[in-house]
Amino acid sequence: MYRASRTPALQTGRRRFFLWVHFAWILLLPWLGGAAVVAGAQERRYTVAFANLTEAPGTTLEGTGFTGREVRESFVLAVRRYPIDLVFYDNQRDPKKALANVEDAVGRKVDLYIQYLDDAATNVKVGQRLRGAGVSVLAINTPVPDAPLYTMDNRAAGRIAGEALSEYGAKNWRGLRTIGVVLGHLRAQEQRVPDRVQGASEGLKRHLPTIKVVLLETQGNPAQVGPLLAKVLASHPATKVLVAAMDDASALAAKSALDSAGRLADGAIVGQGVDRSVHGGMNDRKEIDPSNRGSIVVGSVAFYLDRYGYEVLPIAMRMLRGETVAPRTVTAHRLITAANVFIEYPPYDMN
Amino acid sequence: MKRKSLSLVLVMLAALIASAPAALAQTDCKTIVPASPWGPNDQTGATNRVTPAVTKAAAAEIQEGKVVVMSYPLTDGIPLFGTRFTKTILTATTLAPGAALGENQLTYMEDTWLSQSHVGTHLDGMGHIGRKDCYYNQTPMGKFITQNNMTKLGLEHLKSFATRGVLVDMVKVYQAAGKFKGNSACKKPCLEKGTVITKADIEAGLKMYNVTLREGDILVVHTGWGDLFEQYPAQNAVYNSGEPGIGKEAAKWLVTQKIVAVGSDSWGVEVIPGEDPKEAFIVHNILITDAGIHIMENVRTDLMAAEADRTKRATFFFSMTVPKAVGLTGNFVAIEGIR
Repeated sequence: MYRASRTPALQTGRRRFFLWVHFAWILLLPWLGGAAVVAGAQERRYTVAFANLTEAPGTTLEGTGFTGREVRESFVLAVRRYPIDLVFYDNQRDPKKALANVEDAVGRKVDLYIQYLDDAATNVKVGQRLRGAGVSVLAINTPVPDAPLYTMDNRAAGRIAGEALSEYGAKNWRGLRTIGVVLGHLRAQEQRVPDRVQGASEGLKRHLPTIKVVLLETQGNPAQVGPLLAKVLASHPATKVLVAAMDDASALAAKSALDSAGRLADGAIVGQGVDRSVHGGMNDRKEIDPSNRGSIVVGSVAFYLDRYGYEVLPIAMRMLRGETVAPRTVTAHRLITAANVFIEYPPYDMN
Repeated sequence: MKRKSLSLVLVMLAALIASAPAALAQTDCKTIVPASPWGPNDQTGATNRVTPAVTKAAAAEIQEGKVVVMSYPLTDGIPLFGTRFTKTILTATTLAPGAALGENQLTYMEDTWLSQSHVGTHLDGMGHIGRKDCYYNQTPMGKFITQNNMTKLGLEHLKSFATRGVLVDMVKVYQAAGKFKGNSACKKPCLEKGTVITKADIEAGLKMYNVTLREGDILVVHTGWGDLFEQYPAQNAVYNSGEPGIGKEAAKWLVTQKIVAVGSDSWGVEVIPGEDPKEAFIVHNILITDAGIHIMENVRTDLMAAEADRTKRATFFFSMTVPKAVGLTGNFVAIEGIR
């Protein structure tokens, strides 16, 4: 009874109190927001070095069709959002050059160094020198000891391709004789392609657990896809073929090989990379295109090297602000098909 | 009586089922496009702001009677976006010997103009850009298109553009701020493609000539990129490869300024490549789809920029007539700035 008689009054009092607190917050919010804006406006500019793997014209990276120029360009575009002045270096895939770049950056007193070099031993030295100079390090694809790493996940990418093919086969060719073919520069250890191969082989068995998988080593030469695949097709008449190509150029070569053999209807292909050779614009039409939904190139798994800047600089920014970052951030690989290519890569040659 | 009630219920049920897709489409558009401040039937957009008072105030900008050209020639060889085309065919049959008419030997000529509407200096109308099938004022556009045109949001619904124009010279702003980065293909200074013009940049441009935006203004942004258009066809590929332009933050701020249109000496007005690689022409969505503010592309701005620099005045009477082209999404225009 006591409680019952006192509660309404208490509730009213509390309600009033909370109302005042809310009112005070509403009054304070613009001021706090303003303070945040001022703080943002006053944020210092940082100097960040990005040492690219290689910018040699025509040299492709990581067993994909992307070049160092595309990686660099992504940093140029992404940095527009941040109070960062970028200093670019080209490691030229050369340990000596990489170490010289570090010395130059230390001399410039950069705030953070983004190292992209596929040489673990050199990266140890790079890490030691930069730490000694008090410069934070962020590594791409090949670790620098004790530095956060942004990296692709080749096995996951391979698995996405394999599973997509496996699902395609199970859905469209149920009961028909079907084999899997994994082709490309399969032994390219330095480009981590063997992980991709393993993932693709695993993925192919996801919906077709008994599928036979044939490995075709092209030594990185897409011209080898034709003759190698032709032999497999000749020895497997009346057989459906699920092709996991380890790069986009090999995927397109595989399509040509199936076409030459008159076996287009027997094939389905998934590539790796999603470089500009397989996707284009509204008018610059390529293999993966909304108007080409019937292609036997079902899709390709995105590696986004052309967006590294957009992925890496936010991590760099958090480090510069003294925030904790994950020791390893992995590319969110995705299967890009005719159905989502314009969502993922919106063209700007509309018409 | 019972039979009548049953029939009525059935008729109502049928009507409900028939109207379901439309209702769903409407509901969807209401969740992804804001309503027009001028009401649910509005098809006009921001030219609603050009009231007699706005036009009268803008007339005060005409002080010398000087007319400044603000559009580029529409002719073969100019940069065209994507696969767009514009082509004219001259009919001159009466010029043939003996084909003149009457004793007065009258001859005549006419043109056939085969052209897409978004070519040269042109205006983007309310029906140009949407989000999914939802366009300005929550219009479910799928229900309002035929093979030939739109049955809603066409240019015929626009009001006058007789208002004040305000030029901001981004080249000067960037030079003054010490952050100018040009493109070597430009003969005159131009901002590099991919340069994001921010709210602060526009404010600096306004401050440079001591102007503040007012409701009903048209903003013209000089980036210098139009220099590549003027070099047609030599630099067409460079011109179309990207452009400096306004970013999302600036676009959102311009919406709050209640302007009528934004024009620039570039093919898309907004920065290309955009700030987020996964967004497509997002500034077009912010301005046209969400706010009914027009975009004017390939506007010739260099002459007005020079005029502003010479006279230290960046405002002018904006003169542009848009044809009452029924159901069109946009059209090429001629613009003059009168001082």
